[in-house]
Amino acid sequence: MKYTQSLLVALVAMFGGWLIVLVTPSASLLGVFTQAVIYAMFALGVGFLLKQNGLVSFGHALYFGGVGYAVGVVLTLDMMPAEWAIPAVLLAIGAAAFAVGLVIVRVPGIAFGMLTLAIGQMFYLLATRARGITGGSDGMGVPWPTTLYGFPEKALRQPETLFMITWVALVLVALLLHLLLKMRFGAVTEAIRDNEERARFIGIRTTVPRAAVYAISAVVSAIAGLLSNYNSAFASPESLHWSVSAITLLMVIVGGFQTLAGPIVGAIVYFLVSDILGDYATYSMAIFGAALIAVIVFSPHGITGAVTSFVKRRRKGAASLSAGATREREAT
Amino acid sequence: MLTISLMNGLVYGALLIIMSSGLALIYGLRRVVNFAHGALYMLGAYIGYTVAIHSSFWLALLVAPGVMFVVGILLDRYGFRLLQDREPLNVMLVTFGLLLILEDLVVFIWGKGNHSLFTPELLRFSIPLFGSDLPAYRLAVMLVGLGVALGLTLWLRYSRVGLFVRASSTDPLTTSMQGVNTDRLSAIIVGLGSALAGLAGVIAGPFLSLSPHMSSDVLIDSFVVVVIGGLGSLAGAFIAALLLGMMHAVGAVYLPEVSVLLPFMFMIAVLIWKPTGLLGSRT
Amino acid sequence: MSSQVLHAQGVALYYGGVRALNGVDLELHRGRICGLIGPNGAGKSTVIDAITGRRALTQGRIVLEGHDISRLGVVERRKLGLSRSFQRTSIFGGMTVRRQVELASWKTGIDDWQDDAYAVLRELDLADLGDVLAHDLGYGEQRRLDLALALTGRPKVLLLDEPMAGLSVKESHDLAGHLKALTSSWDVSVLLVEHDMDVVFGISDSVVVFELGRVIAKGTPAEVRADPRVREAYLGSAA
Repeated sequence: MKYTQSLLVALVAMFGGWLIVLVTPSASLLGVFTQAVIYAMFALGVGFLLKQNGLVSFGHALYFGGVGYAVGVVLTLDMMPAEWAIPAVLLAIGAAAFAVGLVIVRVPGIAFGMLTLAIGQMFYLLATRARGITGGSDGMGVPWPTTLYGFPEKALRQPETLFMITWVALVLVALLLHLLLKMRFGAVTEAIRDNEERARFIGIRTTVPRAAVYAISAVVSAIAGLLSNYNSAFASPESLHWSVSAITLLMVIVGGFQTLAGPIVGAIVYFLVSDILGDYATYSMAIFGAALIAVIVFSPHGITGAVTSFVKRRRKGAASLSAGATREREAT
Repeated sequence: MLTISLMNGLVYGALLIIMSSGLALIYGLRRVVNFAHGALYMLGAYIGYTVAIHSSFWLALLVAPGVMFVVGILLDRYGFRLLQDREPLNVMLVTFGLLLILEDLVVFIWGKGNHSLFTPELLRFSIPLFGSDLPAYRLAVMLVGLGVALGLTLWLRYSRVGLFVRASSTDPLTTSMQGVNTDRLSAIIVGLGSALAGLAGVIAGPFLSLSPHMSSDVLIDSFVVVVIGGLGSLAGAFIAALLLGMMHAVGAVYLPEVSVLLPFMFMIAVLIWKPTGLLGSRT
Repeated sequence: MSSQVLHAQGVALYYGGVRALNGVDLELHRGRICGLIGPNGAGKSTVIDAITGRRALTQGRIVLEGHDISRLGVVERRKLGLSRSFQRTSIFGGMTVRRQVELASWKTGIDDWQDDAYAVLRELDLADLGDVLAHDLGYGEQRRLDLALALTGRPKVLLLDEPMAGLSVKESHDLAGHLKALTSSWDVSVLLVEHDMDVVFGISDSVVVFELGRVIAKGTPAEVRADPRVREAYLGSAA
């Protein structure tokens, strides 16, 4: 029964996306929104890992940028049509991430972060150096076909269409994750996150579920990367750089990692602020660094965390007020 | 040719020893993975550069680590100490935020371009050794690395302060209950760690160029060293640093395309075998 | 022999130069409560670690209902019905009481896990707190939750590591009464590590005394009380 509630919310959200398209005055602004939505999905992937496993990854740009290269190679070498390439690559990334996950989730929390940083950078350097395959620091073009799943690319690349595709994708992915977490898988992974030892003592084998979470977070980031890549038709090493992972992590922390909505909020805030900053963009990193510090010091659970506690406190206040009123009535 | 490569490997390894020992010390005492360490290295290099072009390299060698020592103390006093009850993850992210700020600070003060620090006059010669002419400066760097490794090991093992540091790393609560001023101790150690990073920055100047991106490359390699060596272990870091230096240098000559992957593959291999690192103990 | 549900045979556990356990033999019979007492550092918690597989044995075997489980891991032993609680409360802070008990019941693999979870919650007076987050519970409630997690899935053997730690006199008495009732109503055998002497002698069918990793006395509470070695080592003349 709760599922229908979630489905309804998702439908409303999708409709909301359509409203946004109608209301937005310019195509370029819609393009910025599309970027924001893509990064929101990327942040969702990173945030999912942090939420369910309690693990911070500084290397998810590997999946975000890597998917572009993978598809690029597959299409350039004409291995299969694009319609097959997309699910095939996503599946391959999921499998690879699962294998990697089985190894790295056993590394204690803090070292895990450093490990992901190193792995991510490794692939960045690889992409920059391997001119033969990846075009080196110049990047490589990705030959997307003129029709995809029956739709002509001109239609697909319209700002309105592109925005709707990314928006709907985000809503669907968020919905799927939400439903997944309501199932036993959610409880199992939360238990492992809260107390790994006790989880084993109640009979949970802890490595596989965590590797699965890692793989899912990788695939979500890859989907975001895929959408980004379709937009640009180009794969560059810059999309693999650790700073990309880091900015996304920033969005997750600022938005709040305890819910699925948090990273999405964080991405939107980031883009809004970037837009407003405009001229001060040269020192934007310093500003984001300061914002990160401020959030962690004053509100470690980010914006959504602050909102949730505020609502909780209001509720408690209202409850004690009504309880007090009831007691008064009873006394008289 | 091989000798030169090996030597370059040892030189980079020496640099990593200096960097990673600072990281390890700070982690040992404050349980903080200090992302800002790369920025401290970079600041040291840039401050050293400014001092060197206005005066001498040798003065820079004194001033830069000195300034970074003070920066480290401030960092501990107003950063790590105030955040010591927070989750380690959060503190790590704060140091990351600090890294971002410091990187832009360097650009703000010194601009975006690359700079070069010239080898000091005194060491601009070569010594014929093992059949090749080895630059004296690089040999000197190796000696400094060795000196730092030995010095730290002896200091931790035999001095009173070293004893307090080891005790505090193992059990800070009990140590402070025994009357050791752990806050002052931590400030000194973080200061020392930062000074070491600054030192690394200055001595790296003549053979690595200065740029606003220099912090990330060395930082990542230092992380790899500390993770491979094991988070709690200084000795592990030393071993890993030398191994890594070798891989970089030898790989660059003989396996250029994949050399950059070697350290990471080695790290993954070590972690599959031992998730806490070669000599690591605590999580 | 057939009533013997758990048998630790010749167990030794050495690590880093420390002989935590040396030549330990103890038996637990079906439906009985065996109390483990001894001074701090005597090896009591280590015995539980050894039996559950948290620590590897240097020598000896652990036999559960006739099967040698010495080679099995923590997860496998739990699935065979060997369950433990923790001295330092070990629960899932971010989850609600009901969710984690249900998870634990479900994980034991029994078919009627939902009924089992409800029964456990009711048994330990946690049914009303089902929707409370574990870290919002009071200390005594958290201790009961720790116990509840161990009680799910109708375990055969329950190893309790100082369950009364930090509880008030009344709470300890209540819990002791509960444990006694459990052994008959739930068909579970209990190995109880405890400091509270009154409790141990009050509810145990047999008592094992530890000192420095060895068993120095075994028997009924009365026998152990009278044992001169035990008096000297642990109870002191006041007993």
